[in-house]
Amino acid sequence: MTHPKRRTGGIRWWLSGLFKLFLVALVALGALAVYLDEQIQERFSGRRWAIPAKVYARPLELFAGQKLSQQDFLTELDALGYRREKTLNGPGEVVINGNQVELHTRGFQFFEGTEPSLRLKLRFSGNYLSHLTDHQGKDLAVARLDPLTIGGIYPAHNEDRILINIDQTPAYLIETLVAVEDRDFFEHFGVSPKGIVRALWVNTSSGKLVQGGSTLTQQLVKNFYLSNERTLSRKLTEAMMAVLLEVHYSKREILEGYFNEVFMGQDGNRAIHGFGLASHYFFNIPLAELKLHQIALLVGMVKGPTYYNPRRNPERALQRRNLVLDLLAEQKIVTLEQAEQAKQQPLGVTRSGSLANTSFPAFLDLVKRQLRQDYREEDLTEEGLRVFTSFDPLLQIKAEQSVTEVLGRFKWKGHEELEGAMAVTNPETGEVLALVGGREAGFAGFNRALDAVRPIGSLVKPAIFLTALEQPNRYSLTTALPDQAFSIKDGTGQLWQPQNYDRREHGSVYLYKALANSYNLSTAKMGLDLGVPNVLKTIKRLGVDRDWPAYPSVLLGAGALTPMEVTSMYQTLANGGFNTQPRGIRSVLTARSEPLKRYPFQVEQRFDAGAVYLTQYAMQRVMTEGTARAAYNRLPRNLTLAGKTGTTNDSRDSWFAGFSQDLLAVVWLGRDDNGKTPLTGGTGALPVWVEFMRKANPLPLSTPMPDNIVEAWIDPQTGLSTTADCPNAQKIPYIRGSEPMFGGCGPVYDTAPSTAPSAPGDDPIQDWLKEWTQQQQ
Amino acid sequence: MGINKQWVLLVAGLALLQGCASTNRDAIPVTEAGRPVEASGRIPTQTTSNTTAQPKYTQPSAPVQDSGVVVMVPQGNNPPLQVGSAAANAGISVNPPPVWNTPSAITTTPTIPPSAPTMPTAPARPLDTASVLAADEQLDGPVLALLTTAQQLQGNGDLNGAASSLERAQRIAPREPQVLYRLALIRLNQGDAAQAEQLSRRALSYAAGRPALQAGLWDLIAQAREKQGDPAGAAQARQRAKVSL
Repeated sequence: MTHPKRRTGGIRWWLSGLFKLFLVALVALGALAVYLDEQIQERFSGRRWAIPAKVYARPLELFAGQKLSQQDFLTELDALGYRREKTLNGPGEVVINGNQVELHTRGFQFFEGTEPSLRLKLRFSGNYLSHLTDHQGKDLAVARLDPLTIGGIYPAHNEDRILINIDQTPAYLIETLVAVEDRDFFEHFGVSPKGIVRALWVNTSSGKLVQGGSTLTQQLVKNFYLSNERTLSRKLTEAMMAVLLEVHYSKREILEGYFNEVFMGQDGNRAIHGFGLASHYFFNIPLAELKLHQIALLVGMVKGPTYYNPRRNPERALQRRNLVLDLLAEQKIVTLEQAEQAKQQPLGVTRSGSLANTSFPAFLDLVKRQLRQDYREEDLTEEGLRVFTSFDPLLQIKAEQSVTEVLGRFKWKGHEELEGAMAVTNPETGEVLALVGGREAGFAGFNRALDAVRPIGSLVKPAIFLTALEQPNRYSLTTALPDQAFSIKDGTGQLWQPQNYDRREHGSVYLYKALANSYNLSTAKMGLDLGVPNVLKTIKRLGVDRDWPAYPSVLLGAGALTPMEVTSMYQTLANGGFNTQPRGIRSVLTARSEPLKRYPFQVEQRFDAGAVYLTQYAMQRVMTEGTARAAYNRLPRNLTLAGKTGTTNDSRDSWFAGFSQDLLAVVWLGRDDNGKTPLTGGTGALPVWVEFMRKANPLPLSTPMPDNIVEAWIDPQTGLSTTADCPNAQKIPYIRGSEPMFGGCGPVYDTAPSTAPSAPGDDPIQDWLKEWTQQQQ
Repeated sequence: MGINKQWVLLVAGLALLQGCASTNRDAIPVTEAGRPVEASGRIPTQTTSNTTAQPKYTQPSAPVQDSGVVVMVPQGNNPPLQVGSAAANAGISVNPPPVWNTPSAITTTPTIPPSAPTMPTAPARPLDTASVLAADEQLDGPVLALLTTAQQLQGNGDLNGAASSLERAQRIAPREPQVLYRLALIRLNQGDAAQAEQLSRRALSYAAGRPALQAGLWDLIAQAREKQGDPAGAAQARQRAKVSL
């Protein structure tokens, strides 16, 4: 190989210059490549997205014997997006056959382990789930559904997404995306000259903008790393990065990144990113359960998520979807038949984004406050934490309905101004189950359940009675109290003259009756005898963290609390004297489902169980014969309940707090401007509470009798102990040793059966007694 | 030479650059470690529920007895007792509440197999036998299953998971003292003696008519008090433990 030296010096110089320039450019390009490469790797291999924390409702537990009506169960399934089918073909489907329900659960990762996806058979009977078996008919002890997502913790403006794994994508999703957006995806190296040419050809020949020229890789790079400007240099950088991305990562990894990154719509301040969230947002089902027509819609939307928004522009979206389906048939990804069948389907989007933050704002507010005590804001908005709560959507709906229904009945002038709040807990676990922050429960705003601080009126009285009943040597349920007018100097030197609601004196009354009928005179007098500071101590021990001045007016409820604080107080009464702070959060997991924090059940015995037992007894009499007796017009007589009404001056606040065995509910009604209403606790808050209990079907209160309690037959005429066969004897509980002396059997009354239908069950003596006690009011 | 040589250099340079930029795709550990597990928490679903897809919470394959459960009295010298759970009705309710074990539910109650067959040789105290769910009470269905799960989690050293599982059982049967007893045991193991005592006290209020369990609870309170530096209170509780039996 020889070369004749024929070149001139000029050419040689020119060539050598070009070569040097070329080398410089090459080095510069190399440096750029190295820089871009670093960028790509840093972003793609690290934590790629800021994920807002997700808040979940309680998962619905399933077991034979559970109190759960079929209707409630189906409501829950609907909320979770289970589809009613004729046969079960996969997770998220349910088949209903009379009182039998078969479903295929989705499985879920909980704090203490994984709940597998299972095929279950359930049978309902009355308000109970009577049978739970697996698909082969074998009894199953317990299973739980996936929990409803009730919201997220978002910064003011942000992107939201549910990360998905490429292995969990449904059939046709990848094929459809590739067919529509980038046919050569699996062949090209990041950029596709062939694709550009074809796109040009298809678009010009069809006259429509069907295909874009950039590859999926380029689109991902653009969304991921680059600004939106349209310059040649950006286009070149994009191409280079796309090639580099392809060098480092597999096609599946790039696809996964794409599925998680792509913008799919805007929900208020929240940008919906990724197919995982889009699937929930538009169809209320997990991605893995999408069918062909739904996949076609989502993939079609990629081109213009706002333009093709199926909620706002359904016709455009439908057209686009069908175009995608045609394309799939054309490319033989699906058969013509399949495509035609899918085209027959309606769009099938849910009415509104079911993940919207606004569904249950009051409870979410409670959760956020707790979380903000324990986590930094950026951890909540970026780390993808998974927050499990005790929220019960079924009870929440019932609570909201109760407020709306009862408030809707009021027709007096100014009734529109009436507001309401409600808190529901399980007193035995201390878990908050539902929270209503206002009459329009779906709207975020002033959360009255947590923030409306209002005088509690007679709701304070159980604390006074509990203070008394803790001293069995001084007080029992049948201690006679004088219900007479009196006046004393209060803490500010003014004269304090309490009055009864009916402005009358009731003479000598039994202690329990003073509570049942909410007599102010006898109660205030007893409170003064006990000492206001002692009553305040009781209130603190019940779980209220307030420093009220020790004025006598506190005895009649001048102190102000939020509904949630009242809940905390009554929880101790409902839970046998064991204090449990209301909890809304159960546990927190990291984005990768690693346990992070638990909010455990904690109790502290604050009161003698016997004294609380007696207080509960008096609160039961509130329901059966006292200020809340109207409750049993709507509720079954054999449903034992305990509670207390509360009304403040000029009826500015209407309260009711009460509990069954498994449900404690506190209701407040009033005006935000603290104006007058015509309501008492019994005519305002009580009906809401009763309506809720009627819907919730609670278990009757049945507190186990403490060791130090004995029951004695009492002659109500004398207040002395008697025998069971004494015609008007009444069984009353006492702390052992405090029961009254034996006094024989009092004067015999005419025991003609009462005509009043208001008595419980088949006990004529009790019926008669009730009649008798009601005549005394 | 000239052009050709330059081309060779160029090619070599390009090759070098390529070598820097590219790496073996398979060798990069990028997303294996960093791959986000699906944030929604959904797990891969099993479309067919064959035997491998059995739930975690099925009942243990234990010897099933026909009726009731044999009480295992810690001392071991008493004959086994049959214990009912009638105590719950001692209150003032008009109607006993419907409980979760409806007649249609599970009719036979399996005992949980002791994981250590040699258990009775040690002087039995509830804490010693904590790893063996002393099946001294009538439990069934969901509660038994969840207690078993808790037992397994505790055995693996996952006390938080066990407590979580027990609280699940508590939500299903808030008045089952056995559940609170287990919870108290875990708290004691976690070093929270005060809560261990409080939970035991709550359990006692539901344990009427169940002397073996009462004794166990008092014993637990004694240990909790000892850990809280209250030997006198502990002695008192020990006394109650003896009385209960």
